[in-house]
Amino acid sequence: MALASCGADEPKIAGAAPTMRRLTEEQFRNSIADAFGADIKLGVKLEPLLRTGGLVALGAQHASVTPFGVEKLHQLAKSVASQVVDPQHRRTLVACGPTDPSAFDEACASQFFVRVGRSLYRRPLTEAELKARIESAAAATATLGDFYRGLGSSLTAMLMGPKFLYLIETTEPDPERPGSVRLDAYAKASRLSFFMWNAAPDNALLDAAARGDLDASSGLARQVDRMLASVRLEDGLRGFFADAFGFDQFETLEKDAIIYPVFNLQVAEDAAEQLLLTLNDVLIVRGEDYRNIFTTRHSFISAALARVYRVEAPNPTGWAPYEFPAGDPRVGIQSQVAFTALHSHPGKSSPTLRGKAVRELLLCQKIPEPPADVDFSKFNDPQSPLKTARLRLAMHTEQAACAGCHKLTDPIGLGLEKFDGVGQLRITEQGEPIDPSGDLDGAKFADAADFAKALSTNPASTSCVVNRLFGYGVGRVPSRQDQPVLDYLQQVFASDGYRYRALLQRVATSKAFFAVTSEAAGVAAQLAPSEAKGAP
Amino acid sequence: MSILLKRAATRRSVLRGLLGGGAVSLALPFLDCFLDGNGEALAAGGAIPVRFGTWYWGMGHTPGHAVKDRADVGEIQFLEECKALIPLRQHINYFNGFSAPLDGRSNSPHRTGWVASRTGVVPPIGDEILAPTLDVLVADAISGGTRFRNLDVTSTGNPIDIYTARSNFSRGTAEVSPVGFYARLFGGDFVDPNRGEFKPDPRVMVEKSVLSGLVEESKSLAGKLGASDRARLDEYFTSIRQLENQLALQLEKPPANEMCKVPASPRDVDGERAPTGVEIEAVHETHRLMTELLVMAVACNQTKVFNMAYSDNFSKLRHAGETYTHHTLTHEEPTDVKLGYQPTAFWFNCKTMEGCADFINAFAKTREGAGSLLDNVLIFAASETSYARIHAVDNLPMMTFGKAGGRVKTGLHVPGRGDPITRVGFTCLRAMGLPLDSWGAKSLRVTKPISEILV
Amino acid sequence: MHLWGPAAAFVSAVVCSVTGSAADRGRTLGFAVTNWDTAIYESRFEDECPEGLTPSNEENWLRGLSQADRARFTSKGSGGYGNRPTRRGANGENVCHFPTSAVDPPLLEAEGKLSYGINLDGTQDGKATAKSCAHEKFQGVDGTPAVDNQMYRLLGCTYGWRHYGIVDINADGQRKANGLGLILIEVRNVDDLQNDDDVEVAFYRSIDRVAVDGSASPLPYGTYRIDTVNGVPRYGSVVKGKIVKGELITQPANVNLPFYGNYTFIEQRFRDLSLHLEIDPSGEHAKGTIAGYYDVEQLWDYIRGLSLTSTHQYSCPAVFTALKKLADGYPDASGQCTHISSAFLVKAVNGFIQHPTESKISEASRGKTSSNGGRVSAEN
Repeated sequence: MALASCGADEPKIAGAAPTMRRLTEEQFRNSIADAFGADIKLGVKLEPLLRTGGLVALGAQHASVTPFGVEKLHQLAKSVASQVVDPQHRRTLVACGPTDPSAFDEACASQFFVRVGRSLYRRPLTEAELKARIESAAAATATLGDFYRGLGSSLTAMLMGPKFLYLIETTEPDPERPGSVRLDAYAKASRLSFFMWNAAPDNALLDAAARGDLDASSGLARQVDRMLASVRLEDGLRGFFADAFGFDQFETLEKDAIIYPVFNLQVAEDAAEQLLLTLNDVLIVRGEDYRNIFTTRHSFISAALARVYRVEAPNPTGWAPYEFPAGDPRVGIQSQVAFTALHSHPGKSSPTLRGKAVRELLLCQKIPEPPADVDFSKFNDPQSPLKTARLRLAMHTEQAACAGCHKLTDPIGLGLEKFDGVGQLRITEQGEPIDPSGDLDGAKFADAADFAKALSTNPASTSCVVNRLFGYGVGRVPSRQDQPVLDYLQQVFASDGYRYRALLQRVATSKAFFAVTSEAAGVAAQLAPSEAKGAP
Repeated sequence: MSILLKRAATRRSVLRGLLGGGAVSLALPFLDCFLDGNGEALAAGGAIPVRFGTWYWGMGHTPGHAVKDRADVGEIQFLEECKALIPLRQHINYFNGFSAPLDGRSNSPHRTGWVASRTGVVPPIGDEILAPTLDVLVADAISGGTRFRNLDVTSTGNPIDIYTARSNFSRGTAEVSPVGFYARLFGGDFVDPNRGEFKPDPRVMVEKSVLSGLVEESKSLAGKLGASDRARLDEYFTSIRQLENQLALQLEKPPANEMCKVPASPRDVDGERAPTGVEIEAVHETHRLMTELLVMAVACNQTKVFNMAYSDNFSKLRHAGETYTHHTLTHEEPTDVKLGYQPTAFWFNCKTMEGCADFINAFAKTREGAGSLLDNVLIFAASETSYARIHAVDNLPMMTFGKAGGRVKTGLHVPGRGDPITRVGFTCLRAMGLPLDSWGAKSLRVTKPISEILV
Repeated sequence: MHLWGPAAAFVSAVVCSVTGSAADRGRTLGFAVTNWDTAIYESRFEDECPEGLTPSNEENWLRGLSQADRARFTSKGSGGYGNRPTRRGANGENVCHFPTSAVDPPLLEAEGKLSYGINLDGTQDGKATAKSCAHEKFQGVDGTPAVDNQMYRLLGCTYGWRHYGIVDINADGQRKANGLGLILIEVRNVDDLQNDDDVEVAFYRSIDRVAVDGSASPLPYGTYRIDTVNGVPRYGSVVKGKIVKGELITQPANVNLPFYGNYTFIEQRFRDLSLHLEIDPSGEHAKGTIAGYYDVEQLWDYIRGLSLTSTHQYSCPAVFTALKKLADGYPDASGQCTHISSAFLVKAVNGFIQHPTESKISEASRGKTSSNGGRVSAEN
């Protein structure tokens, strides 16, 4: 793909130790679907990961598996394996077998594990691994008297084994830097694929790895371009932004049914989908400037969402593109229900939560936790003569313990106050007109549309996506020593006109993306140690 | 099309309340959770299985007279219609305020409600079954190795009055006679677990040996890892070994169960044939007898899944000598303006809840392990209408009884706030360990269990 | 009350909500009718039904049995006698299909003085006119003198129709559940929501159902597509009307309205129908009355179909006879009236009515606390 030229050269960095990352829920599911087809049903979920450095995916770097987690994994693996070998699926997924189903068929088992192993382990099986799978299947066939169930038992072990569950990056001596190591070709393929598609490498990428293409910049560029052109890029975008924008919180999102009767599970699901459709549209389909996600009036709407937005549903039975008219305060993703409802209380809006979310999710800034002894009684008093949140929040400035943080959040969140706790538009709160003016790092704004401009021109909005995306790609929280590369990527992002696809390309083809030290190098200093404890 | 990163609530729920009062669970380092629910099960020597059952009653509840409505999850306050349940409320969870969106299908009175709540799919017509009922799903998952895959019992005398089906053409048929039920359970084929021989399940043997092989094969990985990653891998292996231990327990002969005592035949007790018919007094007595037998069948590990119906979905219950059945009364009987309900229909509802109390009590009074049999079962109870008078299916009354071996909290009233009724069934399925991340179809499809009742 | 105009700028909202503005001119509002209930006025039972509720097919049948037969048939509860209560014509005919095949005691009519409804025949005393048969008048519940509602007289002492009667509850519930027979009301050319002497009102059938919240209450701001045949609305009566102090009142006109309930579809053919509709200040909900002459044949067709269950408690022969007797509108050549004066209490929720072509999209009625509308994107 053609890129605007940029004067700067990529600074050299040492990188960090190779990672051992547990697959995220989505990566696990995508891997099963790629190996066996999308109709394989996955029941239980893996243990959730701890959000680290602003991303759930980075919690994977520290995750172990508890006994209950193993129980669930066992159920999951047994369920998948039994589906793979059931009479309906075995015809295509096993595609061979003994004439007497109670007898073991070594050639067939070998053929099966060679194919499946490459897909699940993201590299060819070693001879020893293949032998172990075949022997396990043979023993189980003998006990159970059924070839396919024997095969399934052996597959179960693969599916719950660490070589599938964990993305264990392996290295090899670097011929260009004697005495140093580099990621081996299959580890590079996995990094690329999970970064761009949120899925394991496909056959073409594994073939490229086998040929050594990924070790040469031209071969790497060819694969990156191929992956950028694929429809699977949308999966990658969804995986990254759903994580970066905290969509795991939808799992626990609840609204008061009396105050917000319009809200239900469908609305929550559609709200998340709307935001992701918008991002895909702006960033991939239209290929616009990243900052436009904060100012776009263009979106998509479903019937359930249309009732929350109080507009006509162009398609009462599904989704349709939708453009909010000029003058409407619905501007940018931060005005969408997925943002305003997610960052509200169950029965009311919250300028503080919204301000915090803008800071932490959209600008990558950390807001400290509130002090433990805070007195909320005045703020929550239903008899309070202070009708609007703005007036009530002003009390925070009277309490020194609160003022420090609230001045970071509230002036931002007040810009979105015309959206109530589920994101419905309102003009008044308890009869008092709402004043949606505020301030973002010195940029004063009069209303939500004005706030959108302030957000889109805030330098942190673009550096945030660069930092998060780089960390997401290399599977670790960026460290201080990565800063020169982050600065460089920020610079080329700007010179590329803030195009998301170009940023993906820059990251994936950078030297820093694959840079590793030997394991002994230990853990580098963290860029933001406070972040590693996990943003909310 | 949604790609939401959905997170399941697990038994290991921490940070509760941080995010809007919901449950968030995290993969914590191994040592932190060594002594949670699993630890307890292991400490107890294992071998107490968790069983699942359903209890059915027709005609729902009289709104406003069964339970005091709540806005949030909290204690149950049973009212007059459920007076019999008050002493048992610590064993019960009560659910109402859930909705049953029909997705354009019409409400087939007295049929749609039970089919939707038990299968997660609104019947296109009548009680057409498009998906298995939840007890069938549970039985498929846990009934291996027990003598009866499931036991279905009704007190109405009609074998079709039972609410379990694998498909539209594969519906459950219930035991109707206490004498016949006794013969099936404790007749010739019965093997007393206190004496019987034990044959280990070859499937479990294979599972265990596969896990051992897995550990062996993966050990070589450790050498390639840095110190912290190696520690994580060790935790993973430790967890695998816990699972191996659990499987090993399943391969041993179960401990003698002193609570399993072959009861006397109902014929012997009564001297003559057990009562039959739809007169409520007879139904009540049949229900009591069948319950006693069922409880002993469960205690003796004859089954892990059971279904009981107190009355049918067009409740035929009636008073001796009276023209109107319970069902007819719910429509025809004028509402007493002062009381605010239909007095005779209400009386039938009260009596039904007395039967419900009998059922819960029978499990509660049977000792098992350190607690009662009820502690080791999960029973899903629901009717087919919320207010029979107008055939309402929204706001269907549902309950669960028992703690499911410590997986479920009890004593709570959970208001549904309009969520689909299937959340309750889905929560039961998840509590029973079924590997599902959603259940139900169309608007009844749910992905979130009710985390408030899960431990 | 003030409602937003489609082009009203958000920032100026508070200002322009104080008085009517240019933005309000020529607006179109949409509503979906969620409740359609026969207007049965109820106060003290003994004032309206001094002789009690009207006897049912079942009771009439049981009364005709010998004691021994009664005991035999009832020993197994009401399920024991099947359809015998309706198959009691002289030769075993179903009395709901052949209402003259049996003679029952007369239906017990409502005898109160008050009723919902409007004056349909224009008289003060109910004497026969060219378009009406002689009948008794009621005083309107709101004090209006000489209102007509013979349908109330017919059904006011029948169990299935009295307040909370199962007939209308079932029908409302079924329409809510499956969206069949849902009436849409579109109000056009609204310049001023308080007083406007010239508006136009159209009635349609929806093919989308009303979305409901967790407690099954209808949700506002839904989108409803019009049921069409070859692109032309299946229903589409248009009438003139006015708004007086916030209440919409239409001029009497012949209007066809869809209906579904109790497993029955009906095209309700009204003569001299008028609608009175009050819209609440939020603009989201409305309630009111529809009154007019109802086709007797259609009413009979509906009622006799309901008789298959015993829960409505009336006798088909008695209803048939009373219906002919009470019919008070539009006499045929023989002098027998073919229509019966009626009134229905309706509740509606606002919504966007989507016409077959995109050129005409009704705006949902909205109050001053809600947003202005968006537009359908060009790529759609």
